[in-house]
Amino acid sequence: MSAFDLIAGVLLVASALAAVTLKNAVHAGLALVGNFLVLATVYFALEAQFLGWIQIIVYAGAVMVLFLFVIMLLFDARADVSTGRMPWMKWVAGGFAAVFFLTLAYAFSALGPVHPLAEIKLAGGLPGPLGQLLYGPWLYVVLLIAVLLFAATVAAVVLVQPGVRGARKKPQVLEREREQGEVGR
Amino acid sequence: MSYYLLLSALLFAIGLYGVLARRTAILIFMSIELMLNAANLAFVAFARASGNLDGQVMALVVIALAAAEVAVGLGIIVAVFRARSSTSVDDLAELRG
Repeated sequence: MSAFDLIAGVLLVASALAAVTLKNAVHAGLALVGNFLVLATVYFALEAQFLGWIQIIVYAGAVMVLFLFVIMLLFDARADVSTGRMPWMKWVAGGFAAVFFLTLAYAFSALGPVHPLAEIKLAGGLPGPLGQLLYGPWLYVVLLIAVLLFAATVAAVVLVQPGVRGARKKPQVLEREREQGEVGR
Repeated sequence: MSYYLLLSALLFAIGLYGVLARRTAILIFMSIELMLNAANLAFVAFARASGNLDGQVMALVVIALAAAEVAVGLGIIVAVFRARSSTSVDDLAELRG
């Protein structure tokens, strides 16, 4: 374990803790950006260069900008708008997370040593070797992701349109209501 | 490798704490992103340990999935806020039996 591993680990845990405990939502979002950036450097260290850059562009760039936009659009940066209904929830959550971590740690420690392949073929995780996998054995997954992203785009546009939020009445229902209105007159 | 696996487990547990302890939908959502990233870290660590790029491809898939999830989830949060002027999960309890 090198010094880089230690420093990166401390930074990752500290920024993650800040992201889930800070009261100000914008501060929590910025802590999360820091977490993503440190994680990208860890990816570089683990021979995943392309993934590291994607992490910076997609997560620290696009996703967090969306988050900060929505936070600043909807709230005046208050994190916990309604507290106090379940004040004991923090302790329950902490205990639950601790038990979960211990379980995972036990599972990982029970793991046998991973045998590397005869030849390490990571090639630094550059786009070339990754692309050969993506457009080879993983092609159907890539196509499914394309469908998913398309559906998500349509859903996001439809969800935020003001007119379509309420249930639309069928034409027959509208006609019946109009008739009843005329009878009432 | 086990160091990064433990780190991934710790990050996942912190995200779990955030999901359970936060009371605002958007902050719960941010904690979920933290958990997705922890899983990605485990994928990359395994890819490094076994010398196989498939783990990194899977992490890419997770990132694409998270992008789609953020688009839809934030759309839902904005729509809920317009209808109820609150996204506190304590106030959105209409579905309980």
